[in-house]
Amino acid sequence: MHKLYINPLPVRIWHWTNALGFVLLIATGLQIRYLDLIQVLSFRTAVVTHNWIGFVLIANFFVWLGFYLFTDKIKVYHPELSPTKYFRASWRQIQYYGYGIFRGDPNPHHPNAYLKFNPLQSMMYQIIMMLLVPLQFFTGVLLWDVTRFASMVETFGGVRVVDTVHVLLFILFSGFIIVHVYLSSLGHTPTAHFKAMITGYEEIEDEPEAGGS
Amino acid sequence: MKNFRLTSNRMLLSHPKSFILLTLLALALALIGRTLHAQENSLAKEDLACLTCHDKAGLEKKLTNGESLSLQISTQAYTESMHKGASCEDCHSDLNAKTHGKTKADIKSKRAFSLNMRESCRTCHEKKFTEYEGSVHAALITQGSKKAPLCSDCHNPHTLRSTRIIGPITDTPCAKCHADIFQAYSKDVHGLDRIANGKAAPLCANCHQAHGVKAASLGDGVKDACLSCHKNAVALHKDWLPNAALHFEAISCPVCHAPNAERRVNLRLYDGTAKRQVAEKTGVPKFEKRTDAADTGNSGLDERALWSLLKEFNQDGGDGKMVLRGRLEVRSGVQAHQLSEKSKAIRDCNTCHKQGAAAFQSVTLTIAGPDGRPLRHGIQKDVLNSLTSMDSVRGFYAIGSTRIKLLDTLLVLVLLGAVCVPLGHMTIKRLFKNMREKLEAERAAAPVQAASQTTPDAQHTDDDVSK
Repeated sequence: MHKLYINPLPVRIWHWTNALGFVLLIATGLQIRYLDLIQVLSFRTAVVTHNWIGFVLIANFFVWLGFYLFTDKIKVYHPELSPTKYFRASWRQIQYYGYGIFRGDPNPHHPNAYLKFNPLQSMMYQIIMMLLVPLQFFTGVLLWDVTRFASMVETFGGVRVVDTVHVLLFILFSGFIIVHVYLSSLGHTPTAHFKAMITGYEEIEDEPEAGGS
Repeated sequence: MKNFRLTSNRMLLSHPKSFILLTLLALALALIGRTLHAQENSLAKEDLACLTCHDKAGLEKKLTNGESLSLQISTQAYTESMHKGASCEDCHSDLNAKTHGKTKADIKSKRAFSLNMRESCRTCHEKKFTEYEGSVHAALITQGSKKAPLCSDCHNPHTLRSTRIIGPITDTPCAKCHADIFQAYSKDVHGLDRIANGKAAPLCANCHQAHGVKAASLGDGVKDACLSCHKNAVALHKDWLPNAALHFEAISCPVCHAPNAERRVNLRLYDGTAKRQVAEKTGVPKFEKRTDAADTGNSGLDERALWSLLKEFNQDGGDGKMVLRGRLEVRSGVQAHQLSEKSKAIRDCNTCHKQGAAAFQSVTLTIAGPDGRPLRHGIQKDVLNSLTSMDSVRGFYAIGSTRIKLLDTLLVLVLLGAVCVPLGHMTIKRLFKNMREKLEAERAAAPVQAASQTTPDAQHTDDDVSK
């Protein structure tokens, strides 16, 4: 077992700010949408809080984007541009989560500082961070001041369409957060990945040496 | 007795106070006399000649329809009126002095007479008359209304006073036709203020315009009127109301400021290209025909019928830009005039942003009718919560109360899935625990076995070397 510095400080700051922010956005979002079922906050407080957290997370997004754009760590998202290798590795990873993990097989993904994510994570996080999160921020900003962005709202099909996209993404992120927490507990110990995202160091199991060579 | 009277008169005249009083009385009488004389003098000889006959009580004319038209004109009222500078002939130029009063002129009715006479108003009041011609009142007359007001229904040409003179609010001519609305107004915050403080508070024409009056539920004219006095209203609302500009756009002021009013959603058919509310053309009653055909059960249009209706209207236009613009408003003109004090206005977001909120239980589709009044047809309230009507009512959405129900179901399913998948995965892991431990033990044992198998060979090699 050895330690590998895999989560640099900016990534950890972004991650936990994002995590806390998204939980709060989901909570206030539920309060805003389901005023008839939840009465923890007043509608107005929920809306104002939701807006502020939204703007904090937009700023936070640029911490993530800036870090990866201006360092070589961007490689963690596309270590090798080979679709064949990528799909093979993805299939191995699916087999591991769907079968191998129950048998106690070793994780086929062996991380290093430039190969942080397994292929499924790499694909999923790129979709989330480059498409879904910006889309959620964008629709959120439009809904924050519908009148100011009236022409843009109209271009995208009206306030009802913009809101529906925002809510669909909210539903997706709500589900994602639960699954994300569970998947994070599938390290070599249930808390290994959580600790790694706090300290920056991931504990990597040493591979068995081949034939005493 | 005679002596007593003489004595009393002497005493009266000799008393200084009585003398002053009598002098003042004489002066007052002289002044009134002079004024009356001056009034008469201000009129031309011809006008005085007219009034000689017409200022007689009970002077009237029997009209063809049996009505009696009063012909009496008070000289005093006329000389105090805004028209005192005009001569009788300015308006009654059609009368021939030689034949007037000698030959019988047939007048069908009071209405016909007023209709005929209004053209003389145009001569001097061109601007106001043009405004009036664009009003809902004039449109109603064009449509054949027998009740819509003509100039003289609001302004008696012979007694017309300046608008600077503040009379009691009951003098307001609008009250003659809109009595129920006027009753509500006289008890609301503006009406009470008008009674107490006069012109500082608005009367009908201040919000609705006196001549260019439009149907209040069409357009944004009345809201603009509110903001013309309450200039800082938008800024004040922005202090506490999120998305204040949108609230101003989608909600009429009385929705919150008449707290006891019933509310409804008004979906206005709007031409997105021309940027105005769609109006029915005279003689082409498409709206009623189409809505009646689509609403066979007379229970209001459902989302499918609404979508088809929009499609039909879009085909008329040819550019595909007919959209629905939603607005929250109160259900009647009476309720729109039950405005309360600011402190009693609704500030609780729950009133509207809660599922099942009363304001969203009534939905209506509106188009401007050919007479300038709104034409309406009911819409089923579920349209506001349906995914399939997302395009039809794309421009109207109230968080919480008009949310799409299908998304609620999706949220529950996704959350259930997100909880069940990990739980299922954990359960399978637990079920495989024994097998996993067994396999791990085997794997742990395998290198030891391999080592034990390789050691003798190594020894053998060593041995060989030693040999």
